[in-house]
Amino acid sequence: MMADRNDSDVGSRLPLVRKLVLSSLGVLLLATSGVSFYRHRHLEETVVLSPGVTEVKRLSDYFDGVRGTINDCNLYFLEGQEPGATMLVMGGTHPEEPGGRLAAWLFAENAVMEQGRLIVVLSANRSATTVTRLGGAYPTDFVIPTDWGEQAFRMGDRWSNPLDQWPDPEVYIHDPSGQNLAYVDIRNLNRAWPGRPNGTLTERTTYALMELIRRERVDIVIDLHEAELQYPVISTIVAHDRGEELAAFVSMMLSDEEFNIGMEYSPKNLHGLSHREVGDYSDAVPLEFEAPEPFLDATRGRTTREQLLTGQDEFVMKAGEHGLLFERIDEHGWPIDVRVGRHTSAVLQTMESWTILNPDRPLSCRGVPRYAEVIEQGLGHWLHDPSQAPPGRVVIE
Amino acid sequence: MVFLQMLITVIYYCLIAYVAVILIWNLVKTRQWQHEVLYAIVLLPFVLRLLRLK
Amino acid sequence: MSMFTYAGIVLGVMVAVYIAAKFLRLSTELGMLAAALGGGLVGGFGLPARHIAEGAMTYLDIILIFITATLFMNILKESGGIAFVVRGILVRFHRSRALLMVLLTVLLLLPGALTGAGSVTVLITGGMVAIVLETMGISKVRTAAIVFIVAGLSAAAPPVSLWAMMTAAGVNMPYIGFFLPLLVPCVVASLIAIFLLGWSREQIDLETALKELPRAPEGMSWLKVILPFVVFVLLVAIGRRWPHSTPVIGLPLMFLCAAGTSFVLSPLRLEFLQISRETIAQLLPLIGTLTCVGVLVQIMTLTGVRGLLAVTAVTLPVTLVFATLFFVLPVSEAVLMWGAAPVLGVPLVLLFNTMGLNPIVALAGMSVIWPLGDSLPPTAIIGRLTVEVVGYRDSYGRFLKSCALPAVVIMIIGTLMVVFSSRLSFLTGL
Repeated sequence: MMADRNDSDVGSRLPLVRKLVLSSLGVLLLATSGVSFYRHRHLEETVVLSPGVTEVKRLSDYFDGVRGTINDCNLYFLEGQEPGATMLVMGGTHPEEPGGRLAAWLFAENAVMEQGRLIVVLSANRSATTVTRLGGAYPTDFVIPTDWGEQAFRMGDRWSNPLDQWPDPEVYIHDPSGQNLAYVDIRNLNRAWPGRPNGTLTERTTYALMELIRRERVDIVIDLHEAELQYPVISTIVAHDRGEELAAFVSMMLSDEEFNIGMEYSPKNLHGLSHREVGDYSDAVPLEFEAPEPFLDATRGRTTREQLLTGQDEFVMKAGEHGLLFERIDEHGWPIDVRVGRHTSAVLQTMESWTILNPDRPLSCRGVPRYAEVIEQGLGHWLHDPSQAPPGRVVIE
Repeated sequence: MVFLQMLITVIYYCLIAYVAVILIWNLVKTRQWQHEVLYAIVLLPFVLRLLRLK
Repeated sequence: MSMFTYAGIVLGVMVAVYIAAKFLRLSTELGMLAAALGGGLVGGFGLPARHIAEGAMTYLDIILIFITATLFMNILKESGGIAFVVRGILVRFHRSRALLMVLLTVLLLLPGALTGAGSVTVLITGGMVAIVLETMGISKVRTAAIVFIVAGLSAAAPPVSLWAMMTAAGVNMPYIGFFLPLLVPCVVASLIAIFLLGWSREQIDLETALKELPRAPEGMSWLKVILPFVVFVLLVAIGRRWPHSTPVIGLPLMFLCAAGTSFVLSPLRLEFLQISRETIAQLLPLIGTLTCVGVLVQIMTLTGVRGLLAVTAVTLPVTLVFATLFFVLPVSEAVLMWGAAPVLGVPLVLLFNTMGLNPIVALAGMSVIWPLGDSLPPTAIIGRLTVEVVGYRDSYGRFLKSCALPAVVIMIIGTLMVVFSSRLSFLTGL
């Protein structure tokens, strides 16, 4: 089995030359792909701080266990002119759902709080922003056209990068519920709540986020997501038991005035998700917003940057014609502006509805575009030129 | 625990390095061209992981 | 050009390149690699280095499991442990053929059920069980068929069934209620398979059998054979019992620990480096296949070919979906391996759910059928591993023919579970 005796080579030079040629090709492939992977992991995304950002902290300020790791992400604090409630908006729980991150970006670059306080996270699982799904053929990055040029963003994955957390177990047992989950989900931030101080990087990240929520006495946590159209939890707000009234109110107002969005309860026996565990392990009300993203559907066609931004896909449409989808799709697709606009409006509406339900702890914000404005002017209109920003107001994400 | 986990990760990198060396050794020794190509392509993910590129 | 035409052309070219590669006597692995490169070129992506490398990474962890588990088995074999065990089992159980067959079924079911990988069954107990089956007078080809079928079922068996887990995760369904819906068909089908292929009234001729088997070296004992397995099982058990107060070890390191134990306890002096080289050489076709399949799937996804296959499968009329499950699931497994679960499993379970079927039982039924695809080209990964481990050197087609009868039984069981899943919902205990 070892020695390949049945060799057809004639002469002794040929194998050596062949090996050299092959090795050169291998090194070329390694170098080309390696450069691409390196660039992806180290692509610097700029954030031009909104005038409303009063402080930028790090996640490690709340839990030392993430200090020095890739997941020690930025926390953008926007203190209101008047007191009120505290809201945390998280993008990048699943960085392969770019709409969630970009919507949070618009808050970090534009929001000014008038009442209450807003904390924004753009890369809840920063490790997962540095890798794309194996076999998924996703682009490593994408660009959004802006008024001043183009801004590049990293395309990410649903799971933390194995370069930051390896190996995986043969089965993932969630703490503290003991629920069994597929092994890869040990790197899924939205299966790792409420986290463990001495756990894996992903678990330590959720633990740190829980510490932030507890210590800053956050009232509402909003986790921004996108979902494939074949997934039943789509175009909806998933609410913890304590957030039912608020979510129903937001859903009703948005469906009446801007776009259809449903509301559903967080299942009690499905563990590790923010909308369940954040509510169970803190005083905050967790809500999860889901926007449609055909780019995630397994039936999608050609996987390109264009598809990521337009959300147009013939194959997904075909699946829709056969009643296999939980959201409609036509030839217009689900452009990124529509997906981001849904999220910005949903967050703003949550602030308004919360204030009506809790007038003693109001939340109000200006500067962030709603659904119709994002679609009309494009989300790039609200991304600002880092070269024109005042000194000290640009942060690398 | 975090330290232990890091130690295990280091062991995995050592394992990857060991297998990569064996793959290169076998690639050099084999005389069948199809095996050479296969060794080369199988080696690729090992080197990418070892260099912490992917 | 519509997406259907575009992806159809790319698919056509990939198939043509694969056939041409086979015609030029390229191995299956290189044929798949060539098909992937052809697909990338025709699809307008040139030679996408990043996608080739990313695809090649897809199964790195599974490749590590294969390598470390085979290393463990090879060390055990070289130390004389396998010969010792086989002789021992024969001496103790040669009088009762039926009891021996049930015992062997359990031995085959356990590793895969615990790890979710049929390959682990083949590598850990497959070789040993095969030798016992052969000494019972069962032909090599039937022995290979038994090992393959039960190994596949072991992967689908609870507690860890990756197809069920990955699909359940894809539809936001907790992995709860699957134990009996998976256990019952797996145990029943395994017993049917082993008795269908291995039953005869013939008594085992102990003396002849022992004469044909290699002798175990001096100093080998049950303790020395069992201890490495104990180490492995202990590591798995500790991870399960105290998952949050122990670090994640991972299957490759567990196998490496078992291999290390076996190496230290060997009564013979072993050449670790030489065994490692032989292990890699022995596994080259398999790990090569896994790497090339990864590249193929990546290019199929990039060009929309994967989407074309998936959308075609799930948009067939419902009766046709039922009637073709036995074919579509194994074929998807043959091409995508576990990737078949998110690609096909998710839309199918959603389809069944909207039809009012019980998604847990239906998914369990599908999970039983899926592993059959592991014997089919282009990957045929577990089939080829089995043939390799059992030492069957004859035609692969004959091996497939031997698998046919139990495979049909499994297809029927799985399909009936899907169709009558609502009536079988009591199995979930929910």
